[in-house]
Amino acid sequence: MALFGSTSIGSTSSANSASKSQQLKQEIQDQIAQELAVANATELVSKITENCFEKCIVNPSVALNAQEDYCVNQCLEKYMRSWNVISKAYITRIQQSSAEK
Amino acid sequence: MATISQTALQNLDESSRKDIMQFIESEQSKSKVQLSIHNFTDMCFKKCNANRPITSGGLDSNEEQCLTNCLNRFLDTNIKVVQALQGSSK
Repeated sequence: MALFGSTSIGSTSSANSASKSQQLKQEIQDQIAQELAVANATELVSKITENCFEKCIVNPSVALNAQEDYCVNQCLEKYMRSWNVISKAYITRIQQSSAEK
Repeated sequence: MATISQTALQNLDESSRKDIMQFIESEQSKSKVQLSIHNFTDMCFKKCNANRPITSGGLDSNEEQCLTNCLNRFLDTNIKVVQALQGSSK
């Protein structure tokens, strides 16, 4: 223990602050990524709710009936598949237009 | 979620700051693209499912084609509008 400690104190303090910076940087980036992921999910939930409410609940009654419930589930799945199709097509289009330049 | 202290932020070295700025920039552009995809999906889902009920959770080839066409024609329209406005300002 003493062998390791005595020789490396001076050199580890700068290496230490560099690794602390590194660690903090990682924390900040993770937090940013996390918040954006939450924002993205929130947006998806709100769009799906809007669209599927519009599609499936024509006459709101005291509770969701079995048919509405089924419709919402189907609609949710269809919407997410649609999101993926649009996402793929949009990214293809972006790549095409940046290749032309 | 962990909060990051102010003093710790000030002690960040130059290269870490640079990395973070770069990271934010790339996440921002990713976010922009995602937001566009949200809006396009919203619009095209409405267009492609207008006047018919949702009967399945899957997408058949017609629906997939409708969505792809919807997106591409929207972007074509966008380009046309920009070009027309550029042309008229000259």
